[in-house]
Amino acid sequence: MIAARAMGDALRAALEEDCRVILLGEDLVDPYGGAFKVTRGLSTDFPGRVRSTPVSEGAIVGLSAGLALSGYRPIAEIMFGDFLTLCFDQIVNHIAKYEAMYNGKVTCPVIVRTPSGGGRGYGPTHSQSLEKHFLGVPHLRVVAGSLVHDPAAILRALLAQDSPVLLIEHKLLYPLHLMLPAGGRIEGDIAEVHISADGLPTVSIRPVPREDCWFTVLAYGYQAELARRVLSRLAVEEEIFGELVVPSQISPLDWEPIDASVSVTRSLLVIEEGVEGFTWGSEAAARISSCFFGELRRPVATAASAPTVIPTSKMLEAGMLMTSERVEQAIRQAAA
Amino acid sequence: MKPVLVPTTDVNSETGLLLAWHVGDRSEVQAGETIAEIETSKAIIEVPAPEGGFLLYAAREGAEVRLTEPVARLFADVGALEAYAEEEHRRRAEAAASGPRATAPARRRAEELGVDLASIGGDSLITVGMVEAAAAAATTATIELPDPLPGVAALPRIALIGAGLGATQVIDILQAAESGTAVAIVDDDASRWAGEVMGVPVVGGFERLVTLFGKGAFDAAIIAISTSVPARARLRAALGANGIPLANAIDPTARIAADVTFGTGNVVCALCHFGVGTVVGDNNFLSAFNSYDHHNRLGSDISTGPACTTSGLVVLGDRVRLGTGIYMEPHVELGDDVQVASGSVIVASVPAGHAVKRRTVTTVVVPRR
Repeated sequence: MIAARAMGDALRAALEEDCRVILLGEDLVDPYGGAFKVTRGLSTDFPGRVRSTPVSEGAIVGLSAGLALSGYRPIAEIMFGDFLTLCFDQIVNHIAKYEAMYNGKVTCPVIVRTPSGGGRGYGPTHSQSLEKHFLGVPHLRVVAGSLVHDPAAILRALLAQDSPVLLIEHKLLYPLHLMLPAGGRIEGDIAEVHISADGLPTVSIRPVPREDCWFTVLAYGYQAELARRVLSRLAVEEEIFGELVVPSQISPLDWEPIDASVSVTRSLLVIEEGVEGFTWGSEAAARISSCFFGELRRPVATAASAPTVIPTSKMLEAGMLMTSERVEQAIRQAAA
Repeated sequence: MKPVLVPTTDVNSETGLLLAWHVGDRSEVQAGETIAEIETSKAIIEVPAPEGGFLLYAAREGAEVRLTEPVARLFADVGALEAYAEEEHRRRAEAAASGPRATAPARRRAEELGVDLASIGGDSLITVGMVEAAAAAATTATIELPDPLPGVAALPRIALIGAGLGATQVIDILQAAESGTAVAIVDDDASRWAGEVMGVPVVGGFERLVTLFGKGAFDAAIIAISTSVPARARLRAALGANGIPLANAIDPTARIAADVTFGTGNVVCALCHFGVGTVVGDNNFLSAFNSYDHHNRLGSDISTGPACTTSGLVVLGDRVRLGTGIYMEPHVELGDDVQVASGSVIVASVPAGHAVKRRTVTTVVVPRR
């Protein structure tokens, strides 16, 4: 099943299972069904609980905050991740603070979903991966969809807890098939699932036993899929063996499965699509370098997009974003 | 044959869902007739027949189809359609029978060694290592492994590791020095098993060495692999773990000055010189015409080429690898794992883990006038 439909089914299940769930966002209502069609059909089947809003991200998320404080479970859709800047104040200054500010007397369990990422030629303000600006915000979870994670299971885990969540969905993943672990395997590779105390999974994928892998790659979202394809090909064609670790929650991170891999491979590469500098990878590099000082065989490597504006021309865009070629280049360097 | 593609410019979708066929498989269709409906993440697209002909499905209803690949194929007549369908069926059957998942290098190695990939069990990805292990196991099963030679009274019985050319050097040194007698050779390359080097039998792999030591078939071992420093270090550790002692093989033409000490497992080739007060560690393979002047210190697991010459007070760390024809100034220290290119003149110390490169002087070969 393709990821867009799986996410739609997950939202449908949430609406069915929990009457407090409300979906808000621009153009969600049928027949349009949302810009990426994730919510298609839901407004017809759940009238009044799936609502199109005016074009104001601040209002969508502010309204969600109010609903959450009143006991609802709002799930807001921001049409493009680039527009998260318009709700930064609501999320950082209000939603993430309420529970701690009022000493646990209230909770504000808002889930903000948004499609992110480039590769479609959508230009400077519809292609970015801005999630790095939300990493490390106290009391906020940042979760990212990947093909190896079941959106229904993740949404269920997020609805079962009370922290606010920013859920990042890379738009290039929507038309791709999920690749869920089955019987400990994903397409012949060994797939190990680690579930955090909060019920959020990290999937570790390796072509051969971990002892035979000589580097670890940490990635999420579309970059995780690019890395999976490159690693799978390098394993079969050249016997270059690396383990891919794909967390569903990217902040705060569940370090246990990452440590488990790095303690054996003693080498780490972190890949992300956001622009380089002060990144998710920098945080992982700092943490792993500190915990494994003296044990690593090489410095932690990071790969991210070039620190500039994303051009509309697909050719120029491919020149600065993390493409399959650049992922392969980074992996080959890490494997050298 | 004409492939039928989904007419879409939708950049958001790589695949679509084949909702319904409007015509039957292998039926005749007219140009422009709607033959199928595909649902992408954006829309439902009707697929028209690009021309008239006989239609062969390439996907079933309800399947996810790649938008860049044909959903059906059109043929001018039924005969062409049937021929294509038959060929397609044969190809599929062949692909299904192509066997287990293996890496490309493993497939090549399996062909070289004549290993049947299907004989390697399990559902893991088959690697070169697994193919080689399977080949070794097959060889072990069929080869009658020879026993070590009985040895000569009063001389220690030596087992050599590595049946390559290094073994010929060590056997020659032992014979010349009369300091031991080679009774067996082991090598992890099973294709060498049951062969012999200068009359000494290759009795199996490392495991056999351990077994034979347990039975008291030899007294000490020498690693006869000259060029691979990692292999020398790894094997020395493996011998240590099994409690197997090492022996030295020192050519009688070597000049060893006063107050020189040797560890164990060293191979010293002809015409080497060790100056006063020099200390040599364990498991070093020092080629001919090496000269270590007075008060040098050599670590362990070192491998050198011929004609390496040091001045006094030089220090070589562990696992140093020297090429051929190298000179070292006094007091130079090479750290652990240093590699030095042939023909270098070392005038300053080299930190651990570094390589000394040298601009290559090419010998120009010209035809005789």
